[in-house]
Amino acid sequence: MEKEKLIWKTNEISLNVTAGKIDSYRRTEETKNTIRVYEDGKIGIAGSLGEIDEAALTESAKKALSYGIEYPCELHGNTINADDAHEIILQKEFIPKMQEFLDRITKECPNFTVSDKIKLSELRHTYENSKGAHLFSSSSWLEFSLIFQNKGAGNLFDASYEGYVGEFDEDAAVRDCKLLHDSFYKNTDIEEGVYPVFMLSEVLLGRTIDHFFANTYASGASLLSGKIGEKVFNEKFTMYDDRSHLTCPPACVFDDEGEFAPDFKQVFVKNGVLTNVLTNKMYSKTFSLPSAATAGAAYDGVPQFTALTCCTEPTASSAAEITKEKAILVMMASGGDMTPAGHFATPVQLAFLVENGEIVGKLPDIGISGEYFELLGKDYLGTAEKAFFPSLRNSYMACRMKVTK
Amino acid sequence: MINFKKDFYADVRIEDRFSTDVRFLNGKLSESKERLEKRAFLRVYDGKMWYYSSTTDTEHIQKALDELYEVAEPNPDIENDPVVKRFERNKDHLRSFKDNSVRNISISEKTELLKSLAPVTSMEECMSMPIGKYLDRNSLYEFKSSLGADISYDYQTCGVVLFCDMVEGEKKFSAMWQEGDTDFNSLKTKTESAESEFKEQVEFMRNSVPVEEGDYPVVLSPLAAGIFAHESFGHKSESDFMLSDESMKKEWELGKQIGSPILTISECGEIPGTGYTPYDDDGTKARKNYLIKDGMLAGRLHSAVTAAALEEGVTGNARAVDCTYEPLVRMTTTYIEAGNESFESLIAPIKKGYYIKTIKHGSGMSTFTIAPSVSYEITDGKLGRPVQISVITGNVFETLGLIDGLSDTIELKSFVSGGCGKMEQFPLPVGFGGPYVRVSKIKVQ
Repeated sequence: MEKEKLIWKTNEISLNVTAGKIDSYRRTEETKNTIRVYEDGKIGIAGSLGEIDEAALTESAKKALSYGIEYPCELHGNTINADDAHEIILQKEFIPKMQEFLDRITKECPNFTVSDKIKLSELRHTYENSKGAHLFSSSSWLEFSLIFQNKGAGNLFDASYEGYVGEFDEDAAVRDCKLLHDSFYKNTDIEEGVYPVFMLSEVLLGRTIDHFFANTYASGASLLSGKIGEKVFNEKFTMYDDRSHLTCPPACVFDDEGEFAPDFKQVFVKNGVLTNVLTNKMYSKTFSLPSAATAGAAYDGVPQFTALTCCTEPTASSAAEITKEKAILVMMASGGDMTPAGHFATPVQLAFLVENGEIVGKLPDIGISGEYFELLGKDYLGTAEKAFFPSLRNSYMACRMKVTK
Repeated sequence: MINFKKDFYADVRIEDRFSTDVRFLNGKLSESKERLEKRAFLRVYDGKMWYYSSTTDTEHIQKALDELYEVAEPNPDIENDPVVKRFERNKDHLRSFKDNSVRNISISEKTELLKSLAPVTSMEECMSMPIGKYLDRNSLYEFKSSLGADISYDYQTCGVVLFCDMVEGEKKFSAMWQEGDTDFNSLKTKTESAESEFKEQVEFMRNSVPVEEGDYPVVLSPLAAGIFAHESFGHKSESDFMLSDESMKKEWELGKQIGSPILTISECGEIPGTGYTPYDDDGTKARKNYLIKDGMLAGRLHSAVTAAALEEGVTGNARAVDCTYEPLVRMTTTYIEAGNESFESLIAPIKKGYYIKTIKHGSGMSTFTIAPSVSYEITDGKLGRPVQISVITGNVFETLGLIDGLSDTIELKSFVSGGCGKMEQFPLPVGFGGPYVRVSKIKVQ
């Protein structure tokens, strides 16, 4: 009988912000434990919360073998120690420092009211198995989920400053919020047509990621089915799931089956060639797919697959390097989707006009659309690293898209 | 026994949650688990700040509560705080599912129900990769406050979700059907529609044509209408978004005409189903709330905090997704009230438009968006070919004013997969529904 043991420890302080003032403090400490056992091609799983009672949990997992869930046992004896947890802000200084930051935003952005959350988190994740593996990943991050309301506009929210950072540069964050605020109040316009559109990769790739699901790929229902090894997108287009703490602090560097990718980046598309899909050991074996470090599991559940991020590899250090044309920066695009034939469309709730790679001002509500293989093929222009709002270290991908009002 | 300290407001919410998750993938069992989790969420309020703690160590709640008291500041006048004055002091013990708890039904019986439905996801050659899920939940809630509130109630849902991929040549479609209930035996009687709905989706995959983009009259099914009500206006009724801006109260003055005079949108936590919330997480008793009545702004959803800030009454809408989080202002069951037409009379005057039958997801801010799944053309007052639509979208207030027809009966939906997301909390179970709703113009892409 083979065995895996996983422990997740999360420590989080969350501050709630209403009208620029911190009005609540929440502390969460949580430990989740998993024991998986494998015998005769079957898997048995047990999970618990709090301090682990390994013997009891192992007995429960053995009993769960009787459910008869088939699962391949492919364990490795790897070792990793990615111990990157660190103190970003002293806990006792967290509230005053964040209130000082909020006060500066309120002063620099007088027409915005600020609300929602700021969190300080630490994750410690351990994976061990009966083959001798010992994997450890720890990281710390500060998460901003600040929403801005245009005073008097009557909307749920009008703009946001959202992201994770491993280090806090207050001046840079205030500068970016001020840029967002000032740009919001410079009204511009654009005629309908086809333009370069900069966006976070999740706007397009997040809505179409199901075509990378192993089961959808294997069934033939994915637009990508049968195309592993084929060049299907633009030469410049490389897409991966980023688990590196340098660029994605909330990630665990290995997946929930103890697998990890080179540089902790699991590549799906390399220079336009489809190389892999989202899978786990069971899907890979069942559908003869390449293995990938993309397993995700509930603490008491059979492993599934998941992508933490859908990043596109930067091809330029600035937006201007990609295009100096009149372009659009998508800031909020909620509700988009793609038809089974590959027509993608989304309304854009907040967009800025960009010229020479710089934000010019706010556009009225627009819609953007295009065909999947063209957007990531001939219409893909590249990805600008840390563009527009550098304090959040976000990259923005750019495609030529149809823009309607 | 919890000892609450003088000069603070405090409450303790405990959830004892049982859940079952059984799944099949491609004919093989891929998940089979029963989970028991007990968590507590503690709140202390001193009139200035809220202090929260979430714990799975429910044997030592007093210790966790005392730690919160240590960081808060005593306030001898706390009972006169406007928030505290709005907390109800209900004492009630409700058990709706004592005799039919899913805790008492074996996992093998649940697995058999799922197995019995498997054939509908492989009845045609074009169907592949069938996935079946059975999900249930039975929760026992307890709520106690320093004001003397002492409430317990139970909550239950169960349901089945089926998926399969459909592929024929270049034609592809991801098909889905789901049904939810609060009673396992009742759920077993509601699975007959699965076969006909999968057959309809096969026809959709084979015959659907791309939509001609533009502005058209659109008829929404009760499911789509419910999502529209939830996304377009329900979220705007959650009054926590008004706290940050003094001018919002004037902008959202009750009695203002904001929609078509035939439109009434209601909200109620007493309705059985996934949105059932007889007491909210402030301990407030559920009641029926009108959000829009005859096209006029009639009310908004509150927690004690938002009710105090806006000097209004509580509505029973302080809800947290579980005992990991503090309550936010959230919906329960939101629906559009019925009108007086039939489905046929709604589509009869439409020369060219679309009928949205099922949807994939929806969202709403100043504009709302719905991503339809199965949709049809309406041509010369009759349903026509199936059409592929990416999204339908429009300005919320403009669209509320363009509703010009409602059918005479409503359907309320309860689903066990997915739910409502707000800030960090997802998925919160909610109910939604309405009649068939005709809108004279929506942007269709």
